[in-house]
Amino acid sequence: MPEIFIDGHRYEFEGEHKVLQFIQDLGKEVPFFCYHPSMTAPANCRQCMVKAGQYMKSRETGEYEVDENGDRVIRWFPKLQTSCNLMAADGMVILTQETDEQVKRAQKDNLELILINHPLDCPICDQAGECPLQIQTYKYGPEGSRFEVKKVHKPKRVQLGPRVVLDAERCINCTRCTRFTQEISKTHQLTITSRGDKNYPTTAPGREFDDPYSLNTVDICPVGALTSADFRFKARVWEMNQTPSIDITNGKGTNIDLWTRDNLILRVTPRFNSEVNDHWMPDAGREAYKIFNENRISRPQQKLDGEKVLSSWNNAIATLGEQIEDTDNAKIVVIASPHASVEENYALSKYTNLLRLNAPVFTSHIEEGTGDGFLLSDDVAPNTNGCRLLGFKELDKSAISKEIQKAELVIILNDNLVDRSVVSADQLKDKFVAVFATNNSETAEIADLVIPITTAAEHAASYVNVDGRIQRTYRAKETKYTNRRIDLEMSEGRLDRYGTNFDNWVTEDNKIDCMPMWEIVNNLADAAGLDINFKDGREIMDEIASSVSNFSGVSFAAMDEQAGIQLSIKKETSTSK
Amino acid sequence: MSTVDWKNYTPVLLPDIKDLHKIDVYTKNGGYKALKSVLTDKKKWEGPKAVVEEVKKANIRGRGGAGFNAGLKWSFMPPADGGPRYLACNGDESEPGTFKDRKIFEYNPHVFIEGALIAAYAMEITTIYVYIRGEYKTYIDMMEKAISDAYDKGYIGKNILGSKFSVDFYVHSGAGAYICGEETSMLESLEGKRGYPRVKPPFPAQKGLWGRPTTINNIETLSHVTGVINNGAEWFSSIGAPTHPGPVLYGISGHVNNPGVYELPSGVPVLDLIEVAGGMRNGKKLKAVIPGGSSTPVLRADQLDGITMDSDSLRTVGSMLGTAGMVVMDEDTDMVDVLWRIAHFYHHESCGQCTPCREGTGWLEKILLKIKNGDGEVRDLDLLLDLTTQMEGRTICALADAAAWPVRFTINRFRDEFEARCIKKAHAVA
Amino acid sequence: MAYEFTKEDLQEIETIKAKYPEVMPATLPTLWVAQRRFGHVEPEVQRLVAETLGLPEAHVHGVANFYTQYYKEKKGKHVLDVCTCLSCQLCGGYEILHHLEEKLGIKAGETTEDGTFTLNQVECLGACGYAPMLQVTNDKYVNHLTKEKADELVEKLKSGEELEYEQIKMPQHKNI
Repeated sequence: MPEIFIDGHRYEFEGEHKVLQFIQDLGKEVPFFCYHPSMTAPANCRQCMVKAGQYMKSRETGEYEVDENGDRVIRWFPKLQTSCNLMAADGMVILTQETDEQVKRAQKDNLELILINHPLDCPICDQAGECPLQIQTYKYGPEGSRFEVKKVHKPKRVQLGPRVVLDAERCINCTRCTRFTQEISKTHQLTITSRGDKNYPTTAPGREFDDPYSLNTVDICPVGALTSADFRFKARVWEMNQTPSIDITNGKGTNIDLWTRDNLILRVTPRFNSEVNDHWMPDAGREAYKIFNENRISRPQQKLDGEKVLSSWNNAIATLGEQIEDTDNAKIVVIASPHASVEENYALSKYTNLLRLNAPVFTSHIEEGTGDGFLLSDDVAPNTNGCRLLGFKELDKSAISKEIQKAELVIILNDNLVDRSVVSADQLKDKFVAVFATNNSETAEIADLVIPITTAAEHAASYVNVDGRIQRTYRAKETKYTNRRIDLEMSEGRLDRYGTNFDNWVTEDNKIDCMPMWEIVNNLADAAGLDINFKDGREIMDEIASSVSNFSGVSFAAMDEQAGIQLSIKKETSTSK
Repeated sequence: MSTVDWKNYTPVLLPDIKDLHKIDVYTKNGGYKALKSVLTDKKKWEGPKAVVEEVKKANIRGRGGAGFNAGLKWSFMPPADGGPRYLACNGDESEPGTFKDRKIFEYNPHVFIEGALIAAYAMEITTIYVYIRGEYKTYIDMMEKAISDAYDKGYIGKNILGSKFSVDFYVHSGAGAYICGEETSMLESLEGKRGYPRVKPPFPAQKGLWGRPTTINNIETLSHVTGVINNGAEWFSSIGAPTHPGPVLYGISGHVNNPGVYELPSGVPVLDLIEVAGGMRNGKKLKAVIPGGSSTPVLRADQLDGITMDSDSLRTVGSMLGTAGMVVMDEDTDMVDVLWRIAHFYHHESCGQCTPCREGTGWLEKILLKIKNGDGEVRDLDLLLDLTTQMEGRTICALADAAAWPVRFTINRFRDEFEARCIKKAHAVA
Repeated sequence: MAYEFTKEDLQEIETIKAKYPEVMPATLPTLWVAQRRFGHVEPEVQRLVAETLGLPEAHVHGVANFYTQYYKEKKGKHVLDVCTCLSCQLCGGYEILHHLEEKLGIKAGETTEDGTFTLNQVECLGACGYAPMLQVTNDKYVNHLTKEKADELVEKLKSGEELEYEQIKMPQHKNI
């Protein structure tokens, strides 16, 4: 097998590898800015310099040549090489900054040059704390600057588009953003303008950078040149917790990170998953952070004499139990939801099955025209396939509306059926409507009983995307009944670890009075004398895996290990375009 | 060192023939004979490979500045696969001090066209582009005319001179960017993009224009091909300096009485060349010479004894032949001003694609401006020298080197003059 | 104002496109067609070029802004590009530039109030042997400048006279 020697260690490899990527994959480091694994390598930042050479092999024997000391003879390339576009070759010898002074010096020289026209105002820059330039300068840069002449000045605070702001002075011309619009989103909206040290990225004059994927350029900008108009200056990165999650605003199941501070989700960024979304996500999904914070239902609500009032949990549970008991089973319709997780749907169905109610039905949530052939599908619900795989009956709009017409008690699991015009408020008027919901909506508004449940940011649960991949969320945000410090799975940020009660960012206000669906089901079952004791999503998934054949082999551990699991779905059910 | 007999040399690229730019005059004087020979004389030229071999043997070292054997470059083209292959002729000449190819466009365009056609035949090229800097609008028009005349006469187009060889020939105008003289940047510009040099490998012979095999040659280089085919490789390689043979278009500018382009053999002594150009203006003394365009290291007058205009001789005193665009400076020349102006040029022309050049060229200029204005300090000179090492060999193309060399060598060779312009006082302590 | 190519322009652009296997290579030549037609390639003209060629506007903008000969804003009727680079510097390029600045009452980079002249300081124009020199509006070179010749040039252009091509005879070396 071909072999390569990096900093004196021997590694075998197969296939084609860029040396920089190879080194990174080994868990080692060479600093760089312009390289991005999903785009072409222009080698323009010149930061990833390494010393490269080749062990000489004898033409006749094919053996390595050795010198008089028995050491292998190396023919060094005449110049240092950028490792991002250097292809690994058999017998190649690479020295990085770890072992070679010349390389170390070259990287330091290059950083000095990058910094001469870059504002040295990290403390007021929004990128500080997650800035590759800042980090690499600390690690590999010069200790001071010898630049004592005037910097080049360029436009600042340019609203490039509705979501992206440019500070051209911070730009180091890595061209990641322009390459993104050329190679990934293919809108070709950005170009570098001018020439030499006056260069900076821009749109065509008078045009907006309204690329539906524009915010990815903010993610990949290695400096503070491109920032999110919405997020900039809202929070320091070190004040936030980063929690892996799944985009629940679309069926594609884009892998994301939720960034939390004081129990508010402040932003959403894409998380790499080669099977789903690579490094990218649509701008649309980023808005979703608001649904975790705003307009939430906190504490159960009940309609008394046509008036919505807050209710106690006990009262709410008892009310629903009584309604079910008082209604003819044939007159109860249970509506499962493609907007709720597999575990929530399962928990509800287990309860209603034990009560021998009609099996849950659901209707998919398709919005024609949303799909773009990239990371958005027409199916805008995160778990349509989950409902299908659980064996729930899928009804179209008119069929489900007919079911509802026949019923006296309508139980809806987190699906805004009125808002999305599946049923009208009028059709529900004379029925008792109980909803389990995360956010206020028209549907919740007309409901007689509203039981607040956790969002994807507050529970660990699974969703099956349009392509049949099951992936799960993690708890990113505390509810009134959870505590980050005793929940081992919740991420702990600097503030959690070192903050005190006197720190002004710690408030109780942002914790929602809601519960995971399965805990509510436990309580409902208890009230009905049934034996259901769900502990958490992890256990429920184990139970599903052993009882529903479609999910066999699925577990949280397996999903974590494999970044989701591909389930077999019927081809025609996939709405991914 | 044998001296080159340049006094009895008769120009071949730019001979003293009236209206040679007209195709009829050109053909009357033996024009397109070489093309005819390679296309039709199968006894003499077995095929394209034979032409490549002859040119390789002639050792035409690229006249664009890099000095690489043109025939050898041609031999890097992969075997023809039926797809398009390109010849890109580099007429972007923009290196300060260089103004020779325009003479070919003006006075003898067909010797170049013929050479390019032979090159195209030799490399089985399907389309030729000649990239001419946009400022040469007059010469672009002249070339358009010459190419159209050659089309009319059947030297370009389908089945040239009844052979199976067909090729198209187009002019592509630049629009003001020195960097487009860099061969891969020129390809980008031809493809309609910002002139950013390409990362190599892949080399143009593998992936050039539109990802297809492409060779890039300088105008003068290609023009010499015609003579090599007509008179043989030996004829060419016996002219001038043996290791860098053939006629050279010397562009002489600066403080001489008769500046201009002179066609002479390679290897003319530098001091003789100044005499060829009428000697020093106003009877002043010679101070310095930049031998081959602004990027080639400057030489002091006292370094020039016995030095000839060829790469070997110039290397002995630490310089290069470059484009043979020689800039002559007299005793009144302010080397600080000159170096600042050169640095200004490279700063202005850096494409900005890669870091060391984009940032370094500006920094060099700014420090030199400070020194020029009398605000510099001696430590700035050392900073400048250090910066050159941070730029050289670290970039995608050679513009950073071209910007760094003049700084390094001008300071080293005229250090006293630079120090004299610097502030002498120590920094005040309080 | 809305810019439009004439029928002849569009025909020329088609001829240009035929020279290349793709459309993008037509960017530079089409910008030239546009600049000759409209006198500049301001953003709206760049947009016209992009639309005509079916290329992204940002691409055309990036290209137009890379090359110095394209006028990204309106210029005077005559643009005087005075070379001050190396050989011209040595032979008095700056003196000519400053003389013209004084004569026209503007600084390099500016346009006279009446819109007749724009004066620029430019990089090497490849006429080093004929220094100092200048180029008029991306076209004719005026070589071997003196202050007097510069004055004459200004008057000539003011009076609307066409500039002649200054041919420079090949010097022959035999005279030494």
